[in-house]
Amino acid sequence: MVGTDKRLKVAMVAFVYVLLFLIVLAMLVPYVWMISASLKLNKDVFSFPIQWIPELPRWKNYVDIWNRIPLGLFIFNTAKLAVIVTFLQLLTSSFAAYAFSKLRFKGRNLLFLGYIATIAIPWQAYMVPQFIMMRSLGLNNTHLAIICLQAFSAFGVFLMRQFYQGIPDELCEAARIDGLSEYGIWARIMVPLSKPALSTLTIFTFVSTWNDFLGPMIYLTKTPLKTIQIGLRMFISQYSAEYGLIMAASVVSIIPVLIVFLGLQKYFVQGIASSGVKG
Amino acid sequence: MQNETRVETGKPEKALWSKGVREHLVAYSFIAPNFIGFAVFTLLPMLFAFVLAFVKWDGANPMKFVGVDNFTRLIQDTTFHKAFWNTVVYTIGVVPFTMACALGLAILLNQKIFARNFLRTVFFFPYVASLVAVAAVWNFIFSPTLGPLNNILHAITGVPIEDLPRWAADKDWAMFTVVLFTVWKSMGYYMVIYLAGLQGINPELYEAAQLDGANAWRRFRNVTVPQLAPTTFFVLMILVINSFKVYDIFINLFAGADNQLNDSTRVMVYQIYNTAFRSLDYGYASAMAIVLFLLVLGITIVQFNGEKKYG
Amino acid sequence: MKLKRVFSMTLVTALSLSMIAACSGNNGNNGAAPTTAPTAGNNASASEKPADEPVTLKWALWDWEATAYYKPLIEAYKSKHPNVTIEYVDLGSTDYMTMLSTQLSGGADLDVLTIKDIPGYANLVKQNHLEPLKGFISEKGVDTAAYGGTVEQIQVNDEVYALPFRSDFWLIYYNKDLFDKAGVEYPTNDMTLDQYDELARKMTAGSGVNKVYGAHYHTWRSAVQLFGILDGQHTVVEGDYDFLKPTYERILKEQNDGIVMDYATLKTSSTHYSGVFYNNSIAMMNMGSWFIATQIEKVKSGESAATNWGIVKYPHPDGVEAGTTLGTITSLAVNKKSANKEAALDFLQFVTGSEGAAAIASTGTIPAIKNDEVIGSITSIEGFPADENSKAALSTVKTYLEMPMHEKSADIEVILNEAHDNIMTKNTTIDQGLADMKTRVQQILNN
Repeated sequence: MVGTDKRLKVAMVAFVYVLLFLIVLAMLVPYVWMISASLKLNKDVFSFPIQWIPELPRWKNYVDIWNRIPLGLFIFNTAKLAVIVTFLQLLTSSFAAYAFSKLRFKGRNLLFLGYIATIAIPWQAYMVPQFIMMRSLGLNNTHLAIICLQAFSAFGVFLMRQFYQGIPDELCEAARIDGLSEYGIWARIMVPLSKPALSTLTIFTFVSTWNDFLGPMIYLTKTPLKTIQIGLRMFISQYSAEYGLIMAASVVSIIPVLIVFLGLQKYFVQGIASSGVKG
Repeated sequence: MQNETRVETGKPEKALWSKGVREHLVAYSFIAPNFIGFAVFTLLPMLFAFVLAFVKWDGANPMKFVGVDNFTRLIQDTTFHKAFWNTVVYTIGVVPFTMACALGLAILLNQKIFARNFLRTVFFFPYVASLVAVAAVWNFIFSPTLGPLNNILHAITGVPIEDLPRWAADKDWAMFTVVLFTVWKSMGYYMVIYLAGLQGINPELYEAAQLDGANAWRRFRNVTVPQLAPTTFFVLMILVINSFKVYDIFINLFAGADNQLNDSTRVMVYQIYNTAFRSLDYGYASAMAIVLFLLVLGITIVQFNGEKKYG
Repeated sequence: MKLKRVFSMTLVTALSLSMIAACSGNNGNNGAAPTTAPTAGNNASASEKPADEPVTLKWALWDWEATAYYKPLIEAYKSKHPNVTIEYVDLGSTDYMTMLSTQLSGGADLDVLTIKDIPGYANLVKQNHLEPLKGFISEKGVDTAAYGGTVEQIQVNDEVYALPFRSDFWLIYYNKDLFDKAGVEYPTNDMTLDQYDELARKMTAGSGVNKVYGAHYHTWRSAVQLFGILDGQHTVVEGDYDFLKPTYERILKEQNDGIVMDYATLKTSSTHYSGVFYNNSIAMMNMGSWFIATQIEKVKSGESAATNWGIVKYPHPDGVEAGTTLGTITSLAVNKKSANKEAALDFLQFVTGSEGAAAIASTGTIPAIKNDEVIGSITSIEGFPADENSKAALSTVKTYLEMPMHEKSADIEVILNEAHDNIMTKNTTIDQGLADMKTRVQQILNN
């Protein structure tokens, strides 16, 4: 009885691992193919059967792309925007979310509903009036336009508030009795407790700024200001048949995010894990 | 009560501010940094968009108030109807598929399994990877005659390449392809949200359930599901909203260099964008935007009430 | 309690006031713009200024890197006007006119505007962004006859808002090496559409990566649909499209038979026509004359592997004279709100005039002022195909504009593009697609 149960368990585990292995394979194949193609001549990219490791890896593709478009500048611009936006987003969102979840004031629900409702409105619906406004503020063709556009999203407030809701009110009450001001409670209790939420928001904000392309397309019309997304799309439509080069440029555009993500991921995963213990 | 007296006696100079006002000021000071940015760069343009829905305006000439004309036009606009239905079909395809995958992976990767952190990275990474780049890879892989996928299918099944699905380039397979792509790209994101939710469940609940003799399914059904309700609400809401405002994915998978989608791939936001910027019909575009807004708002309210009842 | 209420009411009032202020601010800006523009123009009038005062002109254009003539034009102008600095604003070729319009409506401080197509031009005129040029033309004695009738084609209500500097027309490009390899005679300067179709079928060979397609139609509507207007019987703004049926039938059949690449695949892979021509996968391609300059340059740089190539005249329907083709003009205009109007107009006159034409022709691009001298300078460029047919291909007898000037041409174009896409991707049948064009365009025309 115990024996069959155990054997069933082993079989189950084995099955799950095989399944997982297959899914992981399917998830990874596009990247592997991408790297492989980025080291090939155009005529070899689509040759079949697929040659996963090119016999003569063509590293020249990775040299050529830097000469075709200012890829380095594009990456720098994007990184700069992503860092600034993420910092502002974290600071203002966690601040506002504290008020929404732990303080009582008139109009709280109405205001919060307003925030939620705006998450639902696609930015495309108001990008034109927004452009006109930004332009009248002299922000067209500046990186500041993208920062203003991205840094105060309702999503951050919503996400932080959801996490704060899970922190018991009694904790704040106790702190108030101990004479801590609301700012003190935010700084000493809420922020440390919400590290997992903050690291989550960091990755999400960073990624959405990094991957945004309609915003930069409208606001950053000057080449030296452009971001990697528009740069890459420009490259693809100009050199559409240069398969090897496109894949090389794609790999390069992904590497910086990969580095940031792997660096943060440790805290990110730890953050999630520790939230279970602390929260 | 004690609290109140302490504050009042402790800081008598503030007595000229009533406690309510002071509390409000503190609360507003928390909200202000975000709210000012939010109001100026999101709310104002948004309200302006609502005004626009009732005017005819090309962005340059004076606006003309036309009442509900833009909305009556919408009712007859077959192109918009197609975009609307495509968006709905896309949402119906993406939401349950993504949720199931995300929850399944989260539960799996919440166990102590081999290479857990590596696996989490693998599943989350498509979300991080830039859309333009991965869409280019997908388009190469799914390319009907040259692409490795159809060549592999051809080698396995022996079906001539011409008879295999043409994926993104095929009007009947386009929606399937984009749903597959979306799930691949975004399930990691929702998996992480679920993981955070799972971590927040008190392990004692599981222990108690185990003591009661509940099997894995019962534990899932009676502990995990109800405890995850707020997370599920959050995931469902974000997922539906993101599906309704989809634009980038369709443009990068289907539109080609001239940003043109056809009847089987046009979506609502594409229609809004086109009407505003290609036809310079900002009023009409705003009317479409409002339809989109009301739709999503309606769904959100339903879910909001659902959460209250559920939680 | 009372204080609280007062406070929140003040807050609400302040908020709504700021919103109203901001909204009306927007409106005010736009409403006021046309009236303030003349003042700006007066301020900029150079008569009071010394001629060498430094001026910076912002020139809106697309594909700065990929276009050969921008730099020579600017250099030629600067050598005569050293005080003028010309900054370019590259808005990219995708949705260029859209981006330009959005920029201008937002009040962008552009001075010189490149006008890419007629629908976009019609829109900018309608939006009051362009400086009228009739007065300028007569004042400076610009000879509009030199433009071969193109200036008249962009007239709107007796006024002109742009002057053409490029006048492109469509040709057939072919890959001589592929024809030699297949042992097929080169295409000629007098082909009917049926002969072109036959030749394309003859040239199709191979499979997989090594497949050679006989012809290639780029994903633009103009590359396919406009074969239908070459007989001069119809235009695409008239609201009835049954005449396009034979064209679509022919092209879709070629697509089904694998003679040309599949439209939807080209689309999803964003395939640019130049790429497939460069890498020897197509034998013939119909494309505008702008590709001559690019192809010459890319052969030199080694990017184009199609080194042995030629051009011939556009194929024509039965009973139509050879040399009948489609044309498109690229013009320059001046932003009505430009602060440097005088300087901008001077630059416009230079680029669209004979000096500009010479500079443009020297890069292999066809300028709007097209005389024998200009044609001669293009055919004598190093890298231009040496055969006589290629030289003769540059003379045309009749050119139909891709999109004629029409008040609603922007709206009509959107509809035609959508229906075209649906037909080519088989989302609708040809009949349905054409009927759809008709009903929707009629709606626009009657509105």
